Formats: sequence, structure tokens, C-alpha cells
Amino acid sequence: MGNKYYEVLEHTADIGLRIKGSNLEDLFKNAGLSIFQVSCRKQFTKNKEHKALSVKLNAETLEDLFINWLNELLSLSSANGLIFHRIEIDKIGNNAISASCVGSSIENYKVNIEIKAATYHRLKIKEDKGIWQAEVILDV
Amino acid sequence: MSNALQLEKINDFSWRIPKHYKPGMRVPGVIYADERLLKDIKEDKALEQVANVAFLPGIVRASLAMPDIHWGYGFPIGGVAATDIENGGVISPGGVGFDINCGVRMLKTNIMHEDIASKLEKLVYALFSGIPSGIGSKGDISVGIKEEEKILVKGAKWAVEKGFGIQDDLDCTEENGAMQGADPKAVSDRAYQRGKAQSGTLGSGNHFLEIQVVDQLYDAKICDALNLNLGQITIMIHSGSRGLGYQICEDYTRSMVGCLNKYNINVPDRQLACAPVNSDEGKAYLSAMRCAANYAWANRQCLMHLTRNIFERILENSWQKLGMFLIYDVAHNIAKIERHTVGKEEKILCVHRKGATRAIPAGHPDLPEKYKKIGQPVIIPGDMGRNSYLLVGADKAQETFYSCCHGAGRLKSRTAASRTIDPDSLLKELKSSGIIVKASGRNTIVEEAPQAYKDVNDVVSVVHNAGLAKRVCRMRPLGVIKG
Repeated sequence: MGNKYYEVLEHTADIGLRIKGSNLEDLFKNAGLSIFQVSCRKQFTKNKEHKALSVKLNAETLEDLFINWLNELLSLSSANGLIFHRIEIDKIGNNAISASCVGSSIENYKVNIEIKAATYHRLKIKEDKGIWQAEVILDV
Repeated sequence: MSNALQLEKINDFSWRIPKHYKPGMRVPGVIYADERLLKDIKEDKALEQVANVAFLPGIVRASLAMPDIHWGYGFPIGGVAATDIENGGVISPGGVGFDINCGVRMLKTNIMHEDIASKLEKLVYALFSGIPSGIGSKGDISVGIKEEEKILVKGAKWAVEKGFGIQDDLDCTEENGAMQGADPKAVSDRAYQRGKAQSGTLGSGNHFLEIQVVDQLYDAKICDALNLNLGQITIMIHSGSRGLGYQICEDYTRSMVGCLNKYNINVPDRQLACAPVNSDEGKAYLSAMRCAANYAWANRQCLMHLTRNIFERILENSWQKLGMFLIYDVAHNIAKIERHTVGKEEKILCVHRKGATRAIPAGHPDLPEKYKKIGQPVIIPGDMGRNSYLLVGADKAQETFYSCCHGAGRLKSRTAASRTIDPDSLLKELKSSGIIVKASGRNTIVEEAPQAYKDVNDVVSVVHNAGLAKRVCRMRPLGVIKG
């Protein structure tokens, strides 16, 4: 917690995040990590194994790619019982991403919020003077 | 550009967003609320969302909002929208939500409060340890892929066939616990994977299991018919389709974002992505959504079975002797194909209820025999510190496609609740009001604190006074198990 690259935005039922990155790659990496940082905290070492999963996605627009990326991470996390703590992006453009995501078992974490999915509602992605910023609302 | 929103008062319990508020709205918005609730509703962006839903192709009558309405994503929570299938009506996964067939069931017992007061703590602890809850929780009822396919088609009936309940449970479940037309082939491998280990788990967030006591009767005749009395213990279970439903919603939102161009659909928020009900995409979503709905009914049936077992063990009596019979189970995140009269015409509509409960009145053909004379039981849970309600559908709900509210509705964001509420003093306060709470996380307790919700008494009073449903009785919580 206390990371500088994201902040929590107010929303009545759900959670909003504003994420920053020094470039598009950084934005996607930070966004990916922030959804796990906002929802859980490492507390135990019950399982020492770290597992790397590769993610390859294509989308029509940057917004679609962003939402698909976050949802793919949430989905992989839930299906594999993993919390991702390291993300390395191999390639990124407006329509495609390829990355390696390293996670450790959910048993090592105290999970406070279950994020069901990232939504398009009020989604904003922009670049201003070299700083990338995204706002996204997560269904919790 | 939209004009400043001027709500038009229809009567003391309903308000209109005029169709001209935003160019592109096909119908007006109608919000059921009194002046007091409306003040809170105006605080967030829920009314904008009511207006946005009015853009959906084929929408008829109005984009409706119940008094527990609050800001969601795409659709507001507490929203109802019906589209005319024969006139290009669409279906939107966002109009159902990620937690497909999130819903609630209520059981009665023949136990009186004073008879179990001394065992209450033991019961709450036994329920908390015996019912898998929290994030990442896995159920004891684990099944292989073949078996999961059966759950997706058979719903609660699958559980009953396994011995986790009786036929009467199915009679007392909306859709008898299984929607027809569920096609497991429309469900992705990932969704299967996410659903595999979660049958019979409560989940987290606002999901709960509560031991309650009836503390007020409103309709003596219906209470008699249901065998409900003051001081009687009831149980409420709130859960949904878990990871399976989230994945289905995500898979189909993704495909329907592409449909907006394909079918030339203009909606102001992409989370309202949709496709004509009769299109390949619409049909596929409906088939998959029904699978998730059936999974959720099986899940709540399993949760009820576990609850009955735990009561049997602690109270040393069979659940039948304890009178733990299901009153009803309702879905409050769902889309259904239903017949309704619009104007003078009977139409086949796709009714989205996103945080809204079906509420059909006495005499309706879809009612089970035992409720033909009283109407469908409508179960409205409140927050963990105040009340919950049992109502029945009423005739005037025809104007809302027989829909009603689904709960109290959030008032405060989770972050605001966490900032302002101290978990220890909250637990102490609840304990002094006779409420024992057990939760997987302290965060959940704070985020789900009574202060974070509207007062369910106000919300229910609006649906009762608006004639959408009739109050039958009120309960207050004694023991709360939170995910």
C-alpha cells in the first residue's frame, strides 16, 4: 500500500482507481499491480512457489485492451488461486499486449476485497506531457 | 449535450426524468422514491445512469429505478429495463451484472427466539466455521467438469437429486431453481475453471447468512398463511454465481462491445454494450447467463443444506422437526424473457433486473400453487444492524414489469465507510443491540456497516406505498455471517 502510482477514487458501490505511468508499458504494468495491491496484503508464507503465466491479448482499441488486460489478470488470478506481484511487459501497442505475470498463492495473502471485474463505466485513458493516466471503475 | 436534470414529480412516490433530458433517450426514466430518499439518490451519478439505460434499443415504457437505487457501472443498481424482442429489443450483460443471479432466500423455522437465545453464539460460530466464506474460499462440494455441466442445466434440482434438499425447496424457488434454455456449450473453459471449486460457498462483500427474528407483523392474514409469528426465528441467505458468473459477464461484455458497431447501436456508456436478443450474440449470452443463474440457485440450495445440517447438529433435532422450510428464493441480478401487457398489447419482453426483485401478485400464472392466493414472497434484506423484510407482489407492480427493490441500497462508498467507522466500536455497538457478527475480514465489517446503507425501512415503505409490493413482516438480525 501507499504506492504513488495509483489512488483510490470515491464510488458509492464500487471502487475507482486513478493510475499513472511514465509510458504506456508502465501504465499497464502499474494498473495490473494496483488491482491486487488495493484488494489484498501479503501476510503469510504458506506456499513459497511463484508461478509465471504469460498473457497475450489483442483488442480493437486501447480502451478495450486496457479493460481486457485487467479482466484477464483478475480471471487468471481467480482461476489459478494466484495473486500477481510482478509483471513484465514484453510488448505493448494500442491493440496488443504480451506480458509475463508472476504470482504466488492466494493462501499467502489477506484478501480484503473481491474485485469481480474492471468496467468501461467512466473509463479514461490519456497521455499528457509524457505522463499516462487511466481512471477505471472496478466492480467489487 | 444534456440539459440540466429537472425531475418531474408524478406522485409522492415516483418521479420522471423526461425523455428530452438527453437526445437519444427512447423512453423517459421513472424513479420510485420519496423526497427524503431522492435527496440521497441525487448525491451520486445514479440518475444519469437511469437516463443512459433509456438509450437501449427496443426499451419500452421507461427506464425504471427502485428506491434502493445507487450508482453502479453502466446500469444503476436498482434498475429495471424491459426491451421488446420483436422490435429489435436488446439484451445487455451489464443490465444483469457480473454476479449473475445474485439473490436471496429465506427460511422459516418453528423455533422461538427465547428457545435458542443461549445457543445463538454457538450457532453463529458453527455456521461461520461450517460454511465456506470469504474470497478464494473453496466448497466441500467439489465437482468435476461433467458434474458442473449438470449443475448449469439442472440448477437447484441438481442439489436436491444429490440429497441436499427436497422437492418443496424447488417449488419455492423462482424458476423452480433452474431456467430452461441453459446451454453449457455457451460457457467458456475459464468460466468452468472459476466455478469449479466454488459450489456451496457464500462468497464475500455484501453476501451473508443471517439468523433473524420476526419483530413486526404487517399483514396478519398472509403471516397466518405462511405460519409466521412474532419472535419466530428465520434465516436469510444472500449469495450468487461466484466466479463463474463474473467470467460469463466478462466474456459476453467483451463480445458485445463489438456488437455496438455491428448492429449500429448508440449507447452513452460502453458498459451498456448489448446485442439484439434475437441475434447470435444475444442468444449465446442468454444461454450462458441461464447457466450462471442455475449455478447460483444450486449454490444457494447447497448453502441452505449446510445451514440445515448445522442447525440439526447444534439443536440436536432434524431440520424437518425444526421447521426449517424454504419460504422463497428470489434472483435480483437477472434478465428474463417474460410476457407483459404494454399499452393494450401483450408483448414478449426481455426484462433486466439489476439489483431488483421480481414481484408477481396473487393469481399470476407463474406462481407456485401454494402462493397463488397470496402472491410471490419478495425478500428484501437490509443491513446487518437494522431490519429485513418479507413482502408479497402487488397488482400495481404491473407498471414495473412486476419488479420491486432488492435491498437497502448503498449510501456511502466503501472507502468513506472505512475512513469513518471503527470496527471494534461497531462490533461492540451491534453486540449491545443483541447482534453477533462473524466475518472473514475486519474490512468487510466496516464496509458493510449499517451507516454505509440507506435505511431499509424507508426503502420498503416506498415500494409498499407505491403499491409495488405489500409488507408482510419485518425481521431483525441476531446472528450475521459475512464473507
